[in-house]
Amino acid sequence: MNPIVKVLLAVNLAVLAVLVFVYPHLMVGPGKLIAGHKKLDADCFACHAPFTGVPSARCVICHKPADIGRLTTTGQAIAKPLTATPFHQKLLSQDCMACHSDHAGVKRFRQAGRFDHALLQADTRKLCQDCHKTPTDSLHRQITGNCSQCHNQEKWLPATFDHNKYFALDRDHTSRCVTCHARNDYSRYTCYGCHEHTPANIRREHIEEGIREFDNCVKCHRNADKDDIRGELAKDKGRHEGKRKKREDDD
Amino acid sequence: MTTSLWRQHVLPFTLLAGLLAVATLAGDYFLHRLNLVWVGRYLGIPGTLLIIGSLMYSLRKRKYFKAGNPKSLLTLHEFCAWLGSLFVLIHAGIHFNAILPWLATIAMGINVISGMVGKLLLDRSRRHMQGQREHFQLRGLSRPAVEQAVFWDAVTYDAMTKWRKVHIPIFVVFVVLSLGHIVSIFLFWGWH
Repeated sequence: MNPIVKVLLAVNLAVLAVLVFVYPHLMVGPGKLIAGHKKLDADCFACHAPFTGVPSARCVICHKPADIGRLTTTGQAIAKPLTATPFHQKLLSQDCMACHSDHAGVKRFRQAGRFDHALLQADTRKLCQDCHKTPTDSLHRQITGNCSQCHNQEKWLPATFDHNKYFALDRDHTSRCVTCHARNDYSRYTCYGCHEHTPANIRREHIEEGIREFDNCVKCHRNADKDDIRGELAKDKGRHEGKRKKREDDD
Repeated sequence: MTTSLWRQHVLPFTLLAGLLAVATLAGDYFLHRLNLVWVGRYLGIPGTLLIIGSLMYSLRKRKYFKAGNPKSLLTLHEFCAWLGSLFVLIHAGIHFNAILPWLATIAMGINVISGMVGKLLLDRSRRHMQGQREHFQLRGLSRPAVEQAVFWDAVTYDAMTKWRKVHIPIFVVFVVLSLGHIVSIFLFWGWH
C-alpha cells in the first residue's frame, strides 16, 4: 500500500476514533434516548456498566420501585399514570431491561405493549382487571374475573377457549366469528348466517328424518358432519336411524 | 463484440450486485413479515464470521500459509464475502441509528463492489490482451511489434490492476470501523 494512502487512512481513522469518544451517542449509540433521559444522551456509563449491559441497580437509583406508577423520580405525584394500578411493586424480581429499552433503535426490536406476565407475583397474575379493562361486548359484560378460563397471559387473541367442545371449526367452518355470533354476542349463535344453511333447507331435511325439534343445532350437531349426531340427543340417534331405515325399507 | 461484452462482463456484474440488493431487501422484508426482526439483530455474527472466512484466500495469496488450491480459495473468498455481506446488510437493515456502523456498512459495500469490479475487469482485460496478442502474431508481426501494438491495451490492463488500490485500503477502513462497532456492542450491550 502506498505510504501516502497509509498516512491518510491512519489520520481518517484517528479522527473517527476521536469523534467516537466526543460524540458517543451519535457515533455508536443505537438511537435517541427517551425524552425523560435526554440529559444522559452523551453519558453512556450513567446507565451502562462495561461489558455487562444495564444493571437494574443503576435504574433504581432514580426510579424507586416502591414509587413507580405513583410518584415521579422527583417525588411529585403522577397526575395521569399509565396503568390504573401500580404493579412494579408486585414484580417477582428487579429486571428493568426485561421490559424497558431507552434507545429508539433497540425499542424497535420489542413489540409495543408486550408485557411478560410471568414477571408478576402469582397472586397479582390473577387480578387481570386491576390493569386491563373488561371488554364491552355482551358476552364479556356478563363475566367478572376468571379470564384464564378462556384466555392465556401470552396474548388475548386467539382465546384458549375450546370451541371444538361445542362445535368443531373445521375447513367448512373457517368463517369470521360474527357469521355465527351476530354483533359479537357469544352467548347466542345462528347457523343461518351463511348461504349453506337456510331455515327452509334445514326444516325440510329434518322433517324428512322425522325430527321436529331443530332450533338448537349444536344440541345434536358438534361438527360439519350431519350424520355425526352427538350432544344430548345422541342417545336418540339409534331411534332416528331406525326410523330412517324403516322408511327406506317401506320405499 | 457488444453482445460479448454485455454477456461476459456487464451482465454478471449487474446480476451479482443486483442479486445482493434484491436478496437484502427480500431478507429484510421477510424478517419483518414473519415477525423475526430479532434474527436480523444477530445476523451480523455469521456475516462477520463468513467475511473472516473469506480472508483465507487473501492470506494464502500473501503466502501466510501454503495449504489449499488458490483457485478454490478464490471461489470461496467470493462466495463467503458475498454471503457475509448479505447477512451484514440485512443486519444493518434500513434503520439509521449510529454513524460508526453505517460507515462500516458503506466501507463494506465499496469493498464488495470493488471486489466484483476488480474480478470482472481484470478477467476482461486479460482476455482482451491475450486476444490482441494472438491476433497480431497471426498477422506475422515480430514480438517487439506485437508489444508495440498492444501498448495501450497493456496500459489499460495496468490501470485495471489498480483496483486493488481501492479494494485493500477500503478493506482496512472496513475492518477498523467494524471492530469499533463490535467493541462498542461488547462494551455496552448485556448479553443475557
